[in-house]
Amino acid sequence: MAELTLVIGNKSFSSWSLRPWLALKQIGLPFREVLVLLRRPQTKAEILRYSPSGKVPYLTDGSLGVWDSLAILEYLNELKPEAGLWPSDRGARAVARAVSAEMHSGFPALRQHLSMDLKRKPARGEWPSEATADIERVRAIWTECRQRFGSAGPFLFGGFTAADAMYAPVVTRFHRYGVSLDRELEAYRDAVLALPAMREWTDAAQKES
Amino acid sequence: MAGLCLAIGNKAYSSWSLRAWLAAKHAELTFEEVVIPLDRPESAAELRQHSPSGRVPCLSHGPIRVWDTLAIIETVAETPKGAKLWPTDRAQRARARAISAEMHSGFAALRRHLPMDLKRKPAPLAYPAEVAAEIARIEAIWAECRAARPDGGPFLFGAFSAADAMFAPVATRFRSYAVPLSRTSAEYCDAIYAHPPMGEWIAAAIAEPWTIEHPKP
Repeated sequence: MAELTLVIGNKSFSSWSLRPWLALKQIGLPFREVLVLLRRPQTKAEILRYSPSGKVPYLTDGSLGVWDSLAILEYLNELKPEAGLWPSDRGARAVARAVSAEMHSGFPALRQHLSMDLKRKPARGEWPSEATADIERVRAIWTECRQRFGSAGPFLFGGFTAADAMYAPVVTRFHRYGVSLDRELEAYRDAVLALPAMREWTDAAQKES
Repeated sequence: MAGLCLAIGNKAYSSWSLRAWLAAKHAELTFEEVVIPLDRPESAAELRQHSPSGRVPCLSHGPIRVWDTLAIIETVAETPKGAKLWPTDRAQRARARAISAEMHSGFAALRRHLPMDLKRKPAPLAYPAEVAAEIARIEAIWAECRAARPDGGPFLFGAFSAADAMFAPVATRFRSYAVPLSRTSAEYCDAIYAHPPMGEWIAAAIAEPWTIEHPKP
């Protein structure tokens, strides 16, 4: 297999980059990481050097390039299907894809008002009511997944899946902005934060200038 | 598969519903169709009854409910005749998923300013520069796919795929708002319109009794 390369943005705030990076780490596929600093004058040119689509994250596998976090996750699932990036049960898999897709295109208020910031000292934040509605919806999704599909492990569908990768940035937001959770969801949040790969990402994020 | 139900919005306006419906048709699924007219006082309650996210489309099979177009497409692609929804070549399939995902989370200005409206008499509408930029990006995606297509079919990857289902509502917007297009893009829009299930959907859309003056994206 050709070497995989993942082009990502700043670890402190590029939530879309975290998702496929975490999935790659969790399924144990070796990859080379290329970090492009975002929001700089030369950012666009830098990204285009690696990603013809002009987007990060961007995964290359030999001559093949895949952009968009969800498309990359599906590609990783095809590269290593035995890693269980999606649940093996068809019904659970369908719901895992639904909650992942909802994250992919939704929650604009949550993303805007509680943006991922791994340098933020955890403290209660303030946000408008539309962000509260998004938070409520995330809580409902997590609760339903944990109750219906999560009995075999600490994650949304038991073992770690792509759905956890999709919600990992939300976990960090809830942690950093002091979003209150019930005990069951607190345990889920802590399970994600305790992943060695999440700690590795967070440590690197906090060392960024 | 028995007992499948697809909840959708008005065919004239619900672009996400069109995408999932085209995918289900292409996978030759037999399904019951429930149309929930949007933008009425009772719409929200009806939507919540049919979809955990309160949004359409939503595909149900017994206790399993799959919402969100892209998740429905991936789920339908796992059914016996659904494999053809994605190109067989792995690299092509990865590209098809990338552009489908880009459509799924992007092009917000296009969706806001040029909402799908199959009842509209085609006529130009002025739009801001960010819409023009998104149109240019879509035309670039289409041109790149059409230049690299592995077989002679008229769609983005030759034969009809999930990527075409994802971009079909865009083709209708380009027509409804008389957006000037390259020849390649115009031919691709023609192919979308000539796809038989598309004709079936549009005929049903025009026959719908409900009209929304300013459809939301």
